[in-house]
Amino acid sequence: MEPVLKAVNLKGGYLLGSLYASASQQGSYVDAVSDVSLELFRNEIFGIAGESGCGKSTLIKMLYGYLEPPLVLKDGLVYLYTKEGKEISITSLSKERLKREVFWRHISYIPQSSMNVLNPTMRVRDHFAEMLKLHANMSKEEAYKEAGKYVEYMGLPIDVLAAFPHQLSGGMRQRVVISLALLMRPDLILADEPTSALDVINQQAVLTMLRDSQESFKNTIVIVSHDMGVHGVITRRVAIMYAGRIVEIGKTEEIFEDPLHPYTQALIKALPRLGDKAQRKGLSGHPPDLKNPPLGCRFRPRCPSYGPQCREETPTLIEVKPGRYVECWLYST
Amino acid sequence: MLHASKKSLLEYLATRTIMYFATIFSGITLTYLLVKAMPVDAVENIIFGLTQTVAGVYDPQSINKLREDLYEIFGLTGKSPLEDYLIFIRRVFTFNFGPSFISFPTPAFELVLRRLPWTIGLLSVSTAITWITGNLLGTIAGYFRTRKFTKVLESIAISLYPVPYYIMALILMLLFAFLIPIFPLGGGISVIPESLNLELILNIIWHSLLPALSLILPGALGWSFLSSRTLTLEVLSEDYTRYAEFRGLPGKHVLRRYVLRNILVPQVTVLALSLGGIFSGALLTEVIFAYPGVGSLAYRAAFAGDINTLMAVLILSMVAVSTAIYLLDLLYPLVDPRIRYR
Amino acid sequence: MPSLSFLKSIGKNFIFLYKSNFKFRLGFTLILILFILGFTVSPFSPTSTRTWYAVPRDRPPSPEYLLGTSSMGRDVFWELCASIGKSLTIALITAMIASHIGLFIGLISGIRGGLLDRFLMFVSDTFIIVPGFLLLIVVISIIKSWITIPLLGAIISIVSWPWPARQVRSMVLSLRERTFVYTAKLSGMRTSKVLLFEIMPYVLGWHLVNFTNTILFSIGTESGLAIFGLSILGDNTLGVMLYWALNYYALFRGIWWWITAPIVTLVLIFISFYLISIGLSEHLHRIIG
Repeated sequence: MEPVLKAVNLKGGYLLGSLYASASQQGSYVDAVSDVSLELFRNEIFGIAGESGCGKSTLIKMLYGYLEPPLVLKDGLVYLYTKEGKEISITSLSKERLKREVFWRHISYIPQSSMNVLNPTMRVRDHFAEMLKLHANMSKEEAYKEAGKYVEYMGLPIDVLAAFPHQLSGGMRQRVVISLALLMRPDLILADEPTSALDVINQQAVLTMLRDSQESFKNTIVIVSHDMGVHGVITRRVAIMYAGRIVEIGKTEEIFEDPLHPYTQALIKALPRLGDKAQRKGLSGHPPDLKNPPLGCRFRPRCPSYGPQCREETPTLIEVKPGRYVECWLYST
Repeated sequence: MLHASKKSLLEYLATRTIMYFATIFSGITLTYLLVKAMPVDAVENIIFGLTQTVAGVYDPQSINKLREDLYEIFGLTGKSPLEDYLIFIRRVFTFNFGPSFISFPTPAFELVLRRLPWTIGLLSVSTAITWITGNLLGTIAGYFRTRKFTKVLESIAISLYPVPYYIMALILMLLFAFLIPIFPLGGGISVIPESLNLELILNIIWHSLLPALSLILPGALGWSFLSSRTLTLEVLSEDYTRYAEFRGLPGKHVLRRYVLRNILVPQVTVLALSLGGIFSGALLTEVIFAYPGVGSLAYRAAFAGDINTLMAVLILSMVAVSTAIYLLDLLYPLVDPRIRYR
Repeated sequence: MPSLSFLKSIGKNFIFLYKSNFKFRLGFTLILILFILGFTVSPFSPTSTRTWYAVPRDRPPSPEYLLGTSSMGRDVFWELCASIGKSLTIALITAMIASHIGLFIGLISGIRGGLLDRFLMFVSDTFIIVPGFLLLIVVISIIKSWITIPLLGAIISIVSWPWPARQVRSMVLSLRERTFVYTAKLSGMRTSKVLLFEIMPYVLGWHLVNFTNTILFSIGTESGLAIFGLSILGDNTLGVMLYWALNYYALFRGIWWWITAPIVTLVLIFISFYLISIGLSEHLHRIIG
């Protein structure tokens, strides 16, 4: 399998400086992503799951390479492999060069809420045209024509092009944003909770659109969602995050059928199933404060089956069988 | 899914037009009520003042005519309050404010009408310059908020913003009268106007430079700058601007199409709300530079107790300012698509 | 004793503001100096500041006459002190009247809403659109010979209340959307009580900002009216000083000290009240958000 992105030992988080923090928080650091390594392959839909605050959005911002203060990258490398066979080191390029050469051509991003991400004073067609002009050096007329063809191809009604964002429904806006992200045929698309603001019907439509477009463009889509249902419907592989660390990676069916990490087990057990009337049990306790993470395994305070080792040493992600990784002392002896 | 209809635009225009007339009407009513509420025998007081200052100019007959006019304007004819009010309204809408005292018997209205183009010319040009440069500077300062020149501009703005226009005019006068005597210090024109030619126009512009500057400086570096800077900071934190940066769009493009474009809408409102104040300020600037506009006329009228002329100045200024705001309202759909297509 | 704790909280806020905010500290110090000059120092004037030719005319600044003397034979320094006091008095009267009318109308408009709100906002919009200064010119022209200092302050209030009213109203409207007001309403509090206990403490902070801004506006308006000869020309205010200096062509006759004194003082007053106003609003933004 051909890799499209490799992340090696990513570390980063939020540095609460004078501008953003109250006096008591002065100079504290939120360890949002701690030592994450990840490999993504061409032509797959990959999921990142975990409860809110576990660092999944922070992780994909780091993969994308656009860090705004107070978010800082402390350590680690991210490589992107393009279909032309080029290797791009995202972590070592300047923001300006990323903007010019990488964003949208090779990697694009679908933000958490699409409600306000389109310019309210610009027609939808100009959002497409400005990207085409920038990255494909098209003239205005060419760009409009191309946008028309493309929007039809993506299955959107042609009259969205002439509309202003406020005239579109939430679901339609989200589909416009997704089309925008796929416009330049990038190798990798990072989608941060693409469905969480939508109702069930629109969620379905958006997920179908993502899956269909992935099938026709053969690119890689990363979907970040707290909703295990979304991962069950669309992703091929999924990574489970807890408190800034990836605790398990594997094929989606395998994770659902045979979760290995105690956290994943709790997560899957909490899912409702048809016909099962038993009371769902949630995990007791709270995720740790990432300003002050616990020593050893970060899940240990809530873990039903921890041993003495878990208190002192942080486990590492190990491959228990081909393509299946888990970070827990239960599986490494 | 799409509800693009022209109806909402028409609706918008209709509401604004009704509001335009309603505002003028309520402004006039307001004036009437205020003047009527004056606890003194205003008419006899005015007539007395008049005979004291410029006695002999008027024959008894015209004084009596004037007295009648004044009683009508002040709603003191002794008829029912409603009738008084209607008489006042009729006079206002026929622009009949009676004769002026300062150049008797020229109607006050005509006097004001002659001066109005000067004021409107000075004001429209300097307000346009103020608004455009203020917006550009404010947007740039907001975008580069950590740069040194931004801090300098901000300190200047904070000290200029609270200073009224006429104080600025006096400061400029102190500066240019004694330190750098290059500008004419008063008047509106210093050649004899024979025909409209380039020399005449240049002369007029030359004379209006200092008054204009005293309107532009506290505006472009004051209210316009400060409000557009605040708005820019707001727009920069909006999702759409941040997503534009995420998409790799160059800074210049984001500044123009995203930031500047989106502060235009609220900045038009800020301008509309400031016009009344700018107009009042400009009157004083005119007095200080002896610029031949409505302000200088009002000065002479106030000095002579010429209530007819003052009333005409007030009502016509109300109409002028409301019209300017109405025209801005008509521009609104051009900058805000949410009104055009709802 | 609720009033005592209220006073204590004001004191605490003031000390915090004074210590933490440079703009407020600078503005407050300047204003304090001006108040001392205007109210404490000015009664010690050795010569009358209202009679003509009390001192030799047109003397430049010297140890004897600190800021020189005017063409009317008055000591500019002592006239300035008296003028600061009178101008501040007029402004305080306007601020007392106009900002409270604004507070009242803004609260009613924001809380009641509906037709009453529309009517009140229409009236205040009319005042904002109408060149208020001209309105004052007409009014004062009529009662020119009866004008006194309290009356002048009151008349300026006619055009000064709409801005505070708008500000308070928008504050109330945004507060109404906040959760704590909903919670209070859902828990069965009467609207008037919600207003008094939940909204008032926040609005009062902004009321103070409005008060400061109205002072600023009133001083500016009085001096503007004076330039038109429509102030109390027989008394001492900063505007009246400007009026006589302009009328005697002080600028062209080179008696610069006469005209510069009120101009510089006015600029100082404007900037320091403005600094207080932005210092206050920065503080309020921080504690209310």
